[in-house]
Amino acid sequence: MNGSKHDRTGGRAEAVTVRFAFTPAAAYVRAARLVAADVAAHAGVATGLLDEVRQAVGEACTRAVLRHRDRGIDDLVRVEFSIGDRFVAKITDNAQDLRARPSSRIGASIGGGEPRASDSDTIEEDTLSEEITLIVLGGLVEDLVVTGPDANGGTTVSMSWPLPGSGSATDH
Amino acid sequence: MRGTSGDGAAEPELGLSLSQVGEYAVISVTGEIDMYTAPQLREAVRQLSSEGRMRVAIDLTPTEFCDSTGLGVLIGARRRLSDSGGSLVVVCANPRIRKLLDLTGLDKVLDVREAVPGE
Repeated sequence: MNGSKHDRTGGRAEAVTVRFAFTPAAAYVRAARLVAADVAAHAGVATGLLDEVRQAVGEACTRAVLRHRDRGIDDLVRVEFSIGDRFVAKITDNAQDLRARPSSRIGASIGGGEPRASDSDTIEEDTLSEEITLIVLGGLVEDLVVTGPDANGGTTVSMSWPLPGSGSATDH
Repeated sequence: MRGTSGDGAAEPELGLSLSQVGEYAVISVTGEIDMYTAPQLREAVRQLSSEGRMRVAIDLTPTEFCDSTGLGVLIGARRRLSDSGGSLVVVCANPRIRKLLDLTGLDKVLDVREAVPGE
């Protein structure tokens, strides 16, 4: 696994530095995002990016928990952090059927500039939140890849941030 | 396992304080709004509207962290209050959260201000 930046499927293949999994419950998302920021700090991610790492990993974990919860899945949400040329975070759920649309901004789906949004009454907040997670991730993270559902059934959110001494700020 | 306060042992990291500024009931939020703590904020808005206090300001300026679940609560609160003839103002002079509102486009949908109207 060492040495190669990408495998054949486009995913990254750095050695995993930290790997853990958590019960798909809201209570543990905070722990996951705090660990992410801490590991990123140890890896050397710029201080100014640590809030972004914390937010992004929190969003990805929230999305995974929502996906498991919506489908009644108790499987663990898997989280991996790798330190190579870049700091890489991967969050994997085990829920099929990607429902959220990774496009557009929320405003368009809840009534644009209109003061009332009666057509959005049927939208549940959790459903909206799952969509918002991807919108936030897309806005926050320059290197973001969402794959799946794959053979394991779920989706993986992969994100990376530059480390000091890495050749380029972006490679995607 | 429903993402509410019964999820686990972690203590809620959210503080809500209520005040009245002019015609607005103000919920000032400290700590972190995420999918664990967001139900408390949602319930606080519901409580106000059930008391007939339909003009609500949620002050996120002192908020340490807000994720998409928190944004979902803001959207839901705005919808419920608007449908009942009320209104929601989001007060936020916090650059991190302003950035979040901006990149999601919610700054165009929600009534976001630097201070509570009339303050």
